[in-house]
Amino acid sequence: MANPDYHLIGKSLPRIDSAPKVSGEALFTGDLNLPRMLVGKILRSPYTHALIKTIDISKAKALKGVHAVITGQDTAGEKWGVFKYTRDQQLLCVDKVRYVGDEVAAVAAVDEETADEALDLISVEYEELPGVFDCFSAIAPGAPVIHDSHPRNINVAVKIEVGDVEEAFKKCSIIREDTFAADEDSYFMMEPYAVVANYRSDGSIEIWMPNASPHTKAKALSNALRIPLTKVIARKITIGGAFGGRSDVFPAEFITCLLSIKSKRPVKVVYTREENSIATRMGHAMTTTIKTGVDKEGRVLARDIVSYLDGGAYSSTGPIATSVPFLCHEQTYRLENVRFHGYRIYTNKPVRGMIRIHGRSFACGIDTQLDMIAQELGIDPITIRLKNARRPGETTATGSYVSSCGLVECIEKTAAKSDFINKFNNKKPFHGIGIGINSVQTGFPLGIRGGSQALIKFHEDGGATVISGVVDNGQGNDNMLVQIAAEELGIPVEEIRLISADTEITPTDAGSYSMISTFGGGNAVKRAAADARRQIFEIASELLEADPEDLVAKDKKIFVRGAPHAGIPMEKIIRKSLLIGRPIMGTGSFSPEVDQRREWVSNPRGQLSQAFSFGATVAEVEVDPETGTVKAHNVTCAQDCGFALNPMVVEGQFQGGVAMGGQGGMLTEAHHWSQGHVLNPTMLEYKIPIIKDMPNIETIIVESIDPVGPYGAKEAGMSIAMSAAQAYANAIGNALGIYFNRFPLTPERIFDAIENRKSGIETAWDLEPARVIEFDK
Amino acid sequence: MKKLLITMTVNDEQFDLMVRPNETLTETLRERLGLTGVKEGCAEGVCGACAVLMDQHPVRACLTLSMEADGTSITTIEGLASDGKLHHLQESFINHGAVQCGFCTPGMIMVSKALLDEKPSPTDDEIKEALSGNLCRCTGYKKILEAVRSTTQIDPKKGA
Repeated sequence: MANPDYHLIGKSLPRIDSAPKVSGEALFTGDLNLPRMLVGKILRSPYTHALIKTIDISKAKALKGVHAVITGQDTAGEKWGVFKYTRDQQLLCVDKVRYVGDEVAAVAAVDEETADEALDLISVEYEELPGVFDCFSAIAPGAPVIHDSHPRNINVAVKIEVGDVEEAFKKCSIIREDTFAADEDSYFMMEPYAVVANYRSDGSIEIWMPNASPHTKAKALSNALRIPLTKVIARKITIGGAFGGRSDVFPAEFITCLLSIKSKRPVKVVYTREENSIATRMGHAMTTTIKTGVDKEGRVLARDIVSYLDGGAYSSTGPIATSVPFLCHEQTYRLENVRFHGYRIYTNKPVRGMIRIHGRSFACGIDTQLDMIAQELGIDPITIRLKNARRPGETTATGSYVSSCGLVECIEKTAAKSDFINKFNNKKPFHGIGIGINSVQTGFPLGIRGGSQALIKFHEDGGATVISGVVDNGQGNDNMLVQIAAEELGIPVEEIRLISADTEITPTDAGSYSMISTFGGGNAVKRAAADARRQIFEIASELLEADPEDLVAKDKKIFVRGAPHAGIPMEKIIRKSLLIGRPIMGTGSFSPEVDQRREWVSNPRGQLSQAFSFGATVAEVEVDPETGTVKAHNVTCAQDCGFALNPMVVEGQFQGGVAMGGQGGMLTEAHHWSQGHVLNPTMLEYKIPIIKDMPNIETIIVESIDPVGPYGAKEAGMSIAMSAAQAYANAIGNALGIYFNRFPLTPERIFDAIENRKSGIETAWDLEPARVIEFDK
Repeated sequence: MKKLLITMTVNDEQFDLMVRPNETLTETLRERLGLTGVKEGCAEGVCGACAVLMDQHPVRACLTLSMEADGTSITTIEGLASDGKLHHLQESFINHGAVQCGFCTPGMIMVSKALLDEKPSPTDDEIKEALSGNLCRCTGYKKILEAVRSTTQIDPKKGA
C-alpha cells in the first residue's frame, strides 16, 4: 500500500543488482579467475559407512602439475557443528566415513584433468560397515551406530510440553491420530556450489563462496584453520540462490583454504551438480504422528505430536531443524495444551539442513488432519482455521508474544478472492480446492548470533556509500538496504553505493537465514541513515537558520518543510562538514529483542523472534484419475509481510514460494534411494517446476505494520512457500475425496491411493507411526 | 590430446582458437574468452543457463563441442547491449522484477531473444514453450513471462 509519507519505500522499484545480472557482468564464485589459480578436487567416500584403514597419496603427490594433496591427517581431526554440542563432522574424515560423498582427501592441480588424474591415484583402503538408511531402522535396538557418542543414532531429542495435554484430551468431542511422511527434498539453487580461496604471504586468507552469512563462515574457518579471525576474509560475491542450503559451513570451504595454504596459490573448487546435491545439504525426510482433540465447534483443545527427522550422517543445524516445524505450527495456531517430541536421527545418508519448506510432513499433516476433523464436524476448512488461527496480542505455547499478526486477514482474503466456500461446496468431479496456513520467524537466537550494524559515509558530490554485513542470496537484500538508505537520506537510489557482506570491511551481521535480513539488517541501515541525517540536519540548520526538527531531506537537498525551492544541495553540506572538521558518518545497529536464555533443546521457552510473518495459500487443482497427474490451475496467496518495502520484490518472493513449495514441493520433488545412494542427484532426474507447469498465481499483500520492523516490514515469502505445500496437498485431496499422508504427491502415489481407496475419513496409507522413544536408563 | 584450429565470431569479433576435441563451448567461452555470463548450472543440458545463440539459434553451450562452432557466429549475453545501451529484453527483465539471483537470467534472455527474432508477437503459450528448457528456482517464472510478453507489446519488430 503506497504510503504518502514515503517517496521510495513501498514502491516497486527495479532492484539495483539486476542490471549487472542481465548484462552478464555479475560475477558468481565459479566465474572468478585469479592469477596462478589452481583447480581443487575432492575425493569422496564411495561407501555409506566404513572405517578408513590407510590412505596412500604418494602417487598423487608425484604427479606433474599437482601442487597439494591433503587428507584428514592434515587437519588434526578438526570438526564442525553449528553448536558446541553438535560438533560431529570432521572437515576431512580421519578414521571413518558415514555417507557416500563424505570428504576423504583433496588435491590442487594446474588443471581439471590433472586434478582428476591425481584423485584416481589416491588409494584408500576401507573396511565396510553395515549402514542404516531410515529412521525406524536406525533407532532399532542393535542397529549399527554411526557416532559412538549417540546410542540408537539419536542425534537430537527435543521435548516441549505446555498445559495439561492428557486432561485436555478428556474434554474433546473428537480425537484423531494420523501419521504423515515426506521424502527428502533438495534446494537445486541454480548456481552449483563453488569456493575460491587465496592465501597470502601476510598470513591472511581471502575466500569467496555462496553463503548466507560471511561473518559466520569466517568465524568457523578461523577456528578450524587456526588463523586469527581478522585475517580470514570472506568476500562479497553474487550468489545464485540459497533457500536454506547455503547457511551451514561446509568441509569444502576448509579444504579449499587448506589447499591454498599448502600450495601458496589461489585454488578454486567448483562442485558438480551431483556434489551440490549430496555434499552440501538436502532437506530432511520426516515422519510425523499427530494426535489432535477438538471440541464440538472445532476448536483444538489438545495436540500431541511426535516427529522423526532423518538427519543423515551429521548434525548440521540439527537442534534448529528438529524444532522449527513445531515452532512454525505454534505460531500459526492457538495451542493451550500441546506436547511435541522431535527426534533427529542419524542415518548413513547425506547431511540434512534447513530448507524453504522444511518439515513438509508436519505442516501438511496438521492442515490435512484439520480438514478431516472439519469434515467429521460438518464445517468447512475456512471456518475451522478461523476458529484456531493466531491473533495479534497473543502468546505462543512456548512463550513468544505476537505483536503484529494479519493471519485472519490472509485467510479471509484468499478465501474471498478464490471464491473458496462456493467452490468447496459445489465441487466439480476431479477438481479440488484447498487452503494451507503457516507462519515463520524473522530471525531467532542461535547462541552465536548478534544483531546487525551498518555504516554510511558520504562523497563530496553528495552521494553516499552504505556499508552493511547483510548478504544477498538472490532475494534482493542489497536493494532492500539501498532503498531504505535512499528513503531516509533523500538521495536517489542511483547515487548510493553499497558495500556488503565482506568481513574485512563490513560490520557483523546475523546472516541471511531465518528471514532476519529486512528486520535486522534493514533496521540497522535505517538507524545508520537516521544518524547521518541528524548530523546533516545539524549543519543544514546552521546554514538555513532553522530548527533541525523542521528540516526535510529529499531529492539530494535539505530544506525547511514546505520550502523545497530554498533547499541546500547535499554536496554543499558534505563539503561544509569536511571544512568544519565534522565529517558525517552514520552508524546504526539493531539486535532483535529475543530471550537469549532460550535454547533449542535445554530451554525451549521464551521470546523466539521479535516478529512473525503469516501466510495463507489457496490452490485449485484438477486431477486426471486415469494417470494420477495433477494440473494446478489457480493459486491465490496472501502474506502478512508487515509492510511491503518493494511490492514487486515481495510478489516475486510469493511466486517463487508457490513454485518451490507447492508446485515442486507437493508434486514432484523428492530424492530416491538405494541403500543410502541417492538415485537422482541431478536436474535430469530430480524434477523442479518448469515455466509450463506453473498455475496462474494471484498475490495479495497484507500489511499489519509491525511496531518494530523497518516501516513495519517483517519478511517476504517464506510463509507462502510453506502454506503453498499445504494448500496443494489439501486441494488434491479435495479433488479425489482422499486424505493424503505421504508426500510429495507423485502420479504413482495418487494412482495408488485411487486404486486402494479407503472408506470413511481416513488417510490414504497406513504408515508406521512415530512414537516417543524411551531411553535406556 | 591433439588440438584443432577453429574460427568463430563471438559477439561480432572474430577468434582463431586451438581447442581440444572434447572441449565444450561453455569452456571455450568462459575460460578462454572470459565470457562468464555464460553460466554452467548442470553441465548436462537440462537447466538452460548456458544458452547462447549460434547463427541466431539457441544452443546449450554445455552440450555443444567447440569444434561444432567452427565457422559460426555466436552471441552471448555480453553481446546483447549495443552502443552502451541494454537490449530491450534486458531492460524489460529489470523493470518487471524478473531477475532474482540472476544465475538463470542470461540463458532466459538469450532464448527469449531467439524466439522474438523469429516470432515478434508470440502468444503466452509460445513463450512458455520456448522457455520450457530454462530452469529458474527463484521467481516462479511469472515475472519472466511478463517481462518477455511486455517486449512483444512495446515493439513488434524484435531484435534489430
